[in-house]
Amino acid sequence: MKSGKKLSLSLNPSLKRLPHDMTAQALVSVALRSGDLYHATAVYEVADSVARVALDTILFEGRRDALTLARWEHTPAVVLQALVRLSDASVRQRVQRNLRTSGQTLAELYRTENSDALMTLIAQHRNTPAIVLESMAHESDSDEVLKAVAGNPSASATVLRILRARFPERFDAAIATHAAASPDLLEAVYETGNDYVRAAVVAHPACRRHLLTQAALSGNPLVLRQLAGNPRITAKLLARLARSRTLAVRRAVAGNAVLTPELVIALAGDESVGVRREIALRGDLPLSVLEKFARDDDHWVRQRAARNPATPVALLRELAGEENAEVRRAVARNPACPAELLEQLAHDDNGWVRAAVAYQPKAGAKLMKILATDHAVDVLSGVAANPRAPQALLRQLAQSGEADVRRGVILNPRASDTVLKSLLKDPYYLHRVLLVGNRTLKDEDKWPLLNDPDASVRFTAMRWFAGKVKAG
Amino acid sequence: MKTILVIAEHRRNELRPVTLELISAAQELRQADDKVVVAVIGSKAEAYTSALSVTGVDEIVTVKTASEEFDPDLFEAAVSALVENRKPSVVLMAHSVDTLGYAATLAKKGNFGFATDVFKVEYDGAELVATRAGYNQKVNVEIDFPGRECVLLAIRGSVYKQAEGATSPTVSALDLGSATSRGKNLQFVEAGGADDVDITGVDFIVSIGRGIAEENNVETFRELADTVGATLCCSRPIADAGWLPKSRQVGQSGKVVGACKLYVAMGISGSIQHMAGMKHVPTIVAVNTDPNASIFTIAKYGIVADIFEIEEEMRAQLG
Ligand SMILES: Cc1cc2nc3c(=O)[nH]c(=O)nc-3n(C[C@H](O)[C@H](O)[C@H](O)COP(=O)(O)OP(=O)(O)OC[C@H]3O[C@@H](n4cnc5c(N)ncnc54)[C@H](O)[C@@H]3O)c2cc1C
Repeated sequence: MKSGKKLSLSLNPSLKRLPHDMTAQALVSVALRSGDLYHATAVYEVADSVARVALDTILFEGRRDALTLARWEHTPAVVLQALVRLSDASVRQRVQRNLRTSGQTLAELYRTENSDALMTLIAQHRNTPAIVLESMAHESDSDEVLKAVAGNPSASATVLRILRARFPERFDAAIATHAAASPDLLEAVYETGNDYVRAAVVAHPACRRHLLTQAALSGNPLVLRQLAGNPRITAKLLARLARSRTLAVRRAVAGNAVLTPELVIALAGDESVGVRREIALRGDLPLSVLEKFARDDDHWVRQRAARNPATPVALLRELAGEENAEVRRAVARNPACPAELLEQLAHDDNGWVRAAVAYQPKAGAKLMKILATDHAVDVLSGVAANPRAPQALLRQLAQSGEADVRRGVILNPRASDTVLKSLLKDPYYLHRVLLVGNRTLKDEDKWPLLNDPDASVRFTAMRWFAGKVKAG
Repeated sequence: MKTILVIAEHRRNELRPVTLELISAAQELRQADDKVVVAVIGSKAEAYTSALSVTGVDEIVTVKTASEEFDPDLFEAAVSALVENRKPSVVLMAHSVDTLGYAATLAKKGNFGFATDVFKVEYDGAELVATRAGYNQKVNVEIDFPGRECVLLAIRGSVYKQAEGATSPTVSALDLGSATSRGKNLQFVEAGGADDVDITGVDFIVSIGRGIAEENNVETFRELADTVGATLCCSRPIADAGWLPKSRQVGQSGKVVGACKLYVAMGISGSIQHMAGMKHVPTIVAVNTDPNASIFTIAKYGIVADIFEIEEEMRAQLG
């Protein structure tokens, strides 16, 4: 099947050729000549102050455009900052919500806003500088704002300390899980906290060791479970928790990165499949355990053994003959799967197993050719994305009627310039967006995309060229 | 007395579940002495009569064609003949790839009222009113059909319950005469991917995004989904990496999970393109470490947390 109707671009004459000297001015003049909102947005960052004034006429002429840009997920931070100057309450509110808004803009907004609702938006924003959050922690009395401050990942240890000093215990749950919480603050929170807070403290990487020992005496399963998962716990404590009668605690031990080989073996024999499944996920399993797991009654356990690169080929061969398709697939996804098994699995009845071979970087050109005749989209997409697929196959797959398959070719790091060029007029705009960012395609071939009918393609193309200018 | 005609849909010798949903819709729509007639078209049409003998069906009409596979020309001719013969006021068909092939032409040729992707249909007095979504599911549009003697409605799947209960409708046959098709059926090729789950029809989904970080973690969430009885779906980067089949991708370039009632988004940021496939779901639970993630704007329950911790917690709760 051939791909759908190809896109026909009617080129704006000024965009026919890549300029010899790619400068900010050259790009700005393209944007000004086209009058395109998305060109102007993309080039704004590299434009000087005079050029920005000219671009402002395109960007801020209509309120509708300003509102669109204030909300658009790709609008660059500098444009958002410029939008704030419009003094339009709706635009400002959208800027406050926009994830790309910079710390500087948020700090500016903080100085001028006074409604609690808008303040909460600033308090929540991940780019809000710690210094602004500190000021909020000192001054605000709004529960919503303070809650947002406490939960903001950018809050510093100082911010958390201020909050606790002003409102003892009120924000302890947020502090106990906050990455910036200091050991002393965590200790204070542990002292007064309930079991949920204590559980969060003992899971925290900054929790003091003596608290870990103290927590081991807790009768609460949640506290013990979090303790069992903490990689800073002592081997002795871990061994004790491995004998816990609570399944969730043993499972947490099984997932602990610092388990001793003895404990790995002991837990591999656990009666609960939950614990064995967890152990089976580990990368440090000895041969004896892998052998046992490859024949476990539980298919999740076998599946994990099948995926483990340390599993011997003889066992992989056994697992490749399993009835359960997910187990066979796991063999095909194993980075150490030998060529002979890949070939066997490339002929599997189940398409999802064949797809695993198609995506396998170890599968060679011969298998790629076999799989390229498959009818399942997942298999064809895997071949298309596989760096081992020969260019002739990629050329063929680039013509597929299935967008997913063509996208596989675009995402293939080895797809040649010629193959990619054949996709530049792909009917699906996402594909053209992806091609703009491709490093194999030449700039002269990307340049016409500035004239694309789709706004996000034009924007991405102009951003690409502006990025080059910026990088010098 | 009016007649409501239901067009049965079948594929590969199996009745498609949407047919029983159409019968339910007809049941809800019928007034007083209205009659519900189900038509089944195909070379083995009579083979479906027992499956179609469910409560609410008054009559089954079989229309024999040369091929068992769907053929748009033959279906158009058959439904046209049925309308001519039974004079229904409403024809209910599935909003499916099959009806896409002939319903619009049929409506145009017969000057029938027509609406697709309908999820509600009722009478407002004597006036038939169909409801469908507009503007990317943002508004509901009510459509009426003044002056039309017959109205064709393509009904969205998984909206109505499947009709149940046995009954004994009369069974008759309608001869299609010499209808011909411009096409020829060479081979049946199963569309799409390597996976057999139709995520558009499931009601509980656990969906994973880039937050799962590694392919090995897919299994952890697959296990969780299995344990809670959900279908595992994903955002585009996961499907593009080949970690889950393309048929599990939710969103603009994936599927719209039309029948989903509960959607648990794990480590998904909530791009516009992803939300296009699931924002209509009545209960969305989102788990994300980033409190600013857009997914929280549509979530009924938002959990700012690590997905692995929540997964662990769920497993602990499940025992
Ligand atoms: C034309 C077009 C069509 C598209 N179609 C689709 C489509 O159909 N479906 C689709 O999904 N996308 C589609 N996309 C892509 C879309 O734009 C996004 O790129 C994609 O949805 C992002 O997927 P994500 O949320 O998994 O990844 P990301 O955006 O990278 O988000 C990952 C999220 O995980 C969170 N996270 C990370 N680690 C953890 C953790 N341990 N615990 C909790 N949270 C964590 C992060 O905070 C982040 O929010 C399309 C794009 C285009 C341009």
